[in-house]
Amino acid sequence: MDANSIISSLTGKFPEDIYDASVESDIRIVAKVKPENVVEVCRYLKEDLSFGHLCCELGADYPDRNEIETVYIIGSYDHPVVITMKALLPRDNPEIESIVAVYWNANWYERETYEMYGVKYLNHPDLKPLLLPEELHGEWPWRKDYKGFPNKTARNLV
Amino acid sequence: MDEIEQTNVEQNDVLNVGYTDVPGTMLTESNAICDFIKKTKIQDVLNWGRKNSLWFTVNAMGCCGVELLATGMAHYDTDRFGIIPRNSPRHADVLIISGYVTRKYLPALKRIWDQMPAPKWCICFGDCAISGGPFYESYSTRQNIEDYFPVDVYVPGCPPRCEALIQAFVELQKKIEAKKDKGTEY
Ligand code: SF4
Repeated sequence: MDANSIISSLTGKFPEDIYDASVESDIRIVAKVKPENVVEVCRYLKEDLSFGHLCCELGADYPDRNEIETVYIIGSYDHPVVITMKALLPRDNPEIESIVAVYWNANWYERETYEMYGVKYLNHPDLKPLLLPEELHGEWPWRKDYKGFPNKTARNLV
Repeated sequence: MDEIEQTNVEQNDVLNVGYTDVPGTMLTESNAICDFIKKTKIQDVLNWGRKNSLWFTVNAMGCCGVELLATGMAHYDTDRFGIIPRNSPRHADVLIISGYVTRKYLPALKRIWDQMPAPKWCICFGDCAISGGPFYESYSTRQNIEDYFPVDVYVPGCPPRCEALIQAFVELQKKIEAKKDKGTEY
């Protein structure tokens, strides 16, 4: 299947949930997905369209739009296409269903996105900080408005 | 009696057994002998021994750690100065902070320091360990390492060369010889 037929298959199956879908190049598709149904879309991608490889899952902060995006980059072993799916979440209460049930390797990606951006993944098996120490939990250091950098010079140099 | 008290009592029992029944031994609880030795020539001899056997922990933390590893290898052959890499902090005398100290790693590093038997020394190796380096003002690294460890020698560079580390050991040896190091209270 090439990029256009994958888009038409997706939008045919989920006319409500997939929007702004477009072909970026021969091998890349971008689409936006409604946060409520991300698990069903992922399941369809994996089981029917054989997109079995979640390459990456990440967050991105857009303070001016007051939104946090979670981005899913999903590859396939059968089609020469990579899908980039974005779900837009409100910045004050970002919550989205976890896709660990579909792609097991989303586990640590979601934990990282949780500790850095504060995106809450519902029904995640073990949502706790991955890399940060306890004391930084709740600071969400990768949000653009994070001000917690220690603003002092090293004393032994000056 | 709760569990912790129980453990303490048992530990004290264990500690007190064995010393009094060795014939000819005398026990003291003061530092008087130690303090007296520090004022005599014996301390010079002790320091001579210490400065020539500076074993360091192989504790590669950042990219500087690669230089630290290379220093211990055959090419630079630090063994000829008595500087031997050790894999256990319990065998080591020198802690080399070789890289960025993240907030999450600092407790572990403190623990390594506590596990090392005195007398022990600390070397800050690389810009990260001195001031934060490229990660200065990062949310997850700690600056001002000398607040946590008594640092004797700083080695600037990003990363410093292996020769710089050997130089640092030589400086440390000079400090120990001159009784100016922070490993012992003179
Ligand atoms: S000082 Fe430079 S080489 Fe050393 S740990 Fe820091 S960034 Fe890496």
